Amino acid sequence: MLPSGFQYSQSSMQDYVDCPRRFQLRYVESQPWPAVQAEPFLEYERHIERGATFHRLVERHQLGIPADVLESGIQDNDLKAWWRGYLGFDDVHNMDGKRYPELTLSADLDGSRLTATFDLLVVLPGQRIVIFDWKTYRGRPSKRVFASRLQTRVYPLVLCAAGAGLFGGPVNPVQVSMVYWVASYPNEPIEFEYSEEKGATDRDYLQSIIKDIDRHQNNTIWLLTSDMSRCKYCEYRSLCGRGDAAGQFAELDNNHDNIIDSIVIPSLEDVEEVGF
Amino acid sequence: MPESWFLEGPAGAGKTTYAIQYCHDLVRNDVSPEAILVMVPQRALGRPYQLAFTGSDWPNGTQIDIVTLGGLARRGLEMFWPLIADKAGFAHPEWEPAFLTIETSQYFMARFVNSAVKTGIFDSINVPPFRIMGQLLDNMSKAAVNGFLLDEVADRLITAWGDRHSSRPSVYRAGVDIAQHFREYCLQNNLLDFSLQIELFMNHLLSEPVYRNFFASRYGHLIADNIEEYFPVADDFIRDVWQELDSALLIYDTDGGYRVFLGADPGGMHVLRNLCDHIEIITETRVISPEAAALVSEFDHLLALNSLPPLLEVNPGEIITIASHKFYPDMIEWVVARIVELIAQGIPPGEIVILAPYLGDSLRFVLMSRLEEAGIAAVSHRPSRAVRDEPAARAALTLLALAHPAWEYHPPAADVADALHQVIDDLDPVRAWLLAQIVYRPGRDELGSFDGIRAGAQERITYRAGEKYERLREWLIRYRSEADEVPPDHFFSRLFGELLSQPGYGFHADFEAGRVVAQLVESARKFRRTLYPDGVDQWDAVTHEYFTLVQDGVLAALHVPSWQQQEEDAVFLAPAYTFLMRNRWVDYQFWLDVGSNQWWERLEQPLTHPYVLARNYPLDQVWTDDLEFRYRRDALRRLLMGLVRRCRKHIFMSITSLGEQGYEQRGPLLHLLQQIVQRYGDVQEAAE
Repeated sequence: MLPSGFQYSQSSMQDYVDCPRRFQLRYVESQPWPAVQAEPFLEYERHIERGATFHRLVERHQLGIPADVLESGIQDNDLKAWWRGYLGFDDVHNMDGKRYPELTLSADLDGSRLTATFDLLVVLPGQRIVIFDWKTYRGRPSKRVFASRLQTRVYPLVLCAAGAGLFGGPVNPVQVSMVYWVASYPNEPIEFEYSEEKGATDRDYLQSIIKDIDRHQNNTIWLLTSDMSRCKYCEYRSLCGRGDAAGQFAELDNNHDNIIDSIVIPSLEDVEEVGF
Repeated sequence: MPESWFLEGPAGAGKTTYAIQYCHDLVRNDVSPEAILVMVPQRALGRPYQLAFTGSDWPNGTQIDIVTLGGLARRGLEMFWPLIADKAGFAHPEWEPAFLTIETSQYFMARFVNSAVKTGIFDSINVPPFRIMGQLLDNMSKAAVNGFLLDEVADRLITAWGDRHSSRPSVYRAGVDIAQHFREYCLQNNLLDFSLQIELFMNHLLSEPVYRNFFASRYGHLIADNIEEYFPVADDFIRDVWQELDSALLIYDTDGGYRVFLGADPGGMHVLRNLCDHIEIITETRVISPEAAALVSEFDHLLALNSLPPLLEVNPGEIITIASHKFYPDMIEWVVARIVELIAQGIPPGEIVILAPYLGDSLRFVLMSRLEEAGIAAVSHRPSRAVRDEPAARAALTLLALAHPAWEYHPPAADVADALHQVIDDLDPVRAWLLAQIVYRPGRDELGSFDGIRAGAQERITYRAGEKYERLREWLIRYRSEADEVPPDHFFSRLFGELLSQPGYGFHADFEAGRVVAQLVESARKFRRTLYPDGVDQWDAVTHEYFTLVQDGVLAALHVPSWQQQEEDAVFLAPAYTFLMRNRWVDYQFWLDVGSNQWWERLEQPLTHPYVLARNYPLDQVWTDDLEFRYRRDALRRLLMGLVRRCRKHIFMSITSLGEQGYEQRGPLLHLLQQIVQRYGDVQEAAE
């Protein structure tokens, strides 16, 4: 049913939890639907682009390009503020350990593949691994909101299952923590410690989602979300008969900010080879 | 390097399977997956690796990078840009680069080409401007992938032209002048077309210590598959990083080299075997029957000139059926009837391909329609079919024009009728034509209202359709007051989401229209973001510019991506080379119109030359008819052997006395088949 080679990710699973029909259209059908997600469109696009640029800056920095070289290229004031906030985020800079920016790990979960791309992993072999995730939301969601996101459950689980090679041996969940750093609130990181208990609960939960997905038939229309407010920011709203106008970017609350998480930084798969 | 292997064999010998197992072994021996770099010449050929590395038997851990050289270059440039921009001569190294697509490259090239065309320099070659742009960009790519300077392009083309009396040498020089102006413009504006990406990667990034350090600490193991399809600079790249690797496995497909016309260098890549400690050569394929192998040998013998005739132990005629028809439609009926029979026997549609040397619109349409009528799933791929020619895109573009009467572009009434038919659910072509005749007056500011139509005509059109038409009309009128605030991609997205895909409109639940309009939006978005990255105060002029460039054939010229579709269980209809580059095996192949000369003809491209602009072509050699004949023959040999090696059971070949254009067909493939029939006698010949 799912395309061969499909790997679950936090965003695809979040899509399923939010709206099974959206999951079906995006991942089972791979169906492009070019409606607007949020208005004013250009403002929304600029926000997404700024977030992608920030991620790239941090990756460059973590790969060893000096901060002053990077800063000289920043024209946008908001971006510069985020960047300076990042430079002042001592927790990440002072931490010992090997750094892995933009690293992807994948693990088998009952015959399905679960993948996570980490903004930054800092690894002290045999001792500790910290997941850093940069968020370029306009607001600062509460810890409770972060706790409810699937990312908070998928990332540590994948790291425990697939991080042994980086860690130099099996990763015990208590050695893992995850830090969300919101660019507009650089001094208020949100940290989650992981545990065996959480690991077991998360594994059960994610397995139940995958089992639920597997029970579906592709020749039927999967369940549409009952929370119609989600449809305002979903490109498939016209296909589902759920409205004609995109939601307002200004009203996009943190519960819906996950659409910004799904920004696709061009992958190698998208690169055109010469083809005239 | 501790260990290196060169593995050579024909398609179907199990080389990629071996490479995947090799990756398993590396990981089992504690090599971290992210230390493995898998290189392929184009992304479709990375698919078996992608599937293997996401299978349930693949160990947990980091991921293996599967890249093309272009992909590796782009990713490196994106990430390490601040370190090389200044050294590479960019006027604004502090700005981020803009990676150009083929379309946006053509756009920037257009300004130089158009002014040169006005001088008359290209009058002698009779090629439209957008093809000149394409061929000049092709020359730049050829220079980059061969490691030439741009000047060498002109030198090579002029030398190869010889002393034929013609204006061609000055045309070649003019082409290179334009390319140099384009390059200078790119350097001034941080624009990176494909050729510049490759040059920057090879000439700057690879020697940048930070990148080099990153590369060496990241990758220890290289698997390079299908190297016969690589560009010469890939050879340079492999040699450059060779000593820093812990192991390498290079895989070469004997008799491959289907991308020579794009710059691939199978001969040069074969020399890489000399670097390797171990050389393994497989001669047998595991996929095809002895009869197919005999047919491969026959083609090899007949076309390679120097090979020995195969032994007559097996009759290659047993895997082919040849059917002769007088006219093209008869051939199509025969093909469809055979496919219906196969499917009735339980053959999955995905095990059948229909191949033609070129796939024209009418052939594609007729075949797809006939298969659809027969209830058979089919997908087609025709790289030369532009997005703007798809009906859904045409409708969206017509509505864009209607929304901007100030442009004074008046679409033909037939286009307006077609757009109305496309986008309004209840409007058949006859009613759409009637409606268009009444409401559309070229030159009038807006479409007429449905309410203003006489009652009799309203009834014929139907009130239901009229109501939807009225909503469309009002949407277009309302949009006009906002046109300055709406970029072209946003126009298409809004029109699609707010109206055309709403219930009751033609694109609602029309997945194909969704795909096509998404591609159109993408084309407009790339145009806007590349040309106007900081935005403009008034978008109307930009939208007009985009529309004009689409009309001129510069933009929206790429096809709708369909490579994913090949995995559907559907009959696949494609040009023969497209199928080959997918590296796919099927049970049954249908070769259309085997009498056509197109099976061995190459595209007429007066400004470029795939063989002369190649590193291994002697600088002082004139291109002669004899060389043309030899290269064509070799290309045909590779093509035919490649196709047969990808067929497990049977090939149906059809001949028509008169081709699609009504000319008599006596191409070289037909001649070869006649020789095989004479030699073996009992080739199956289908009765009409």
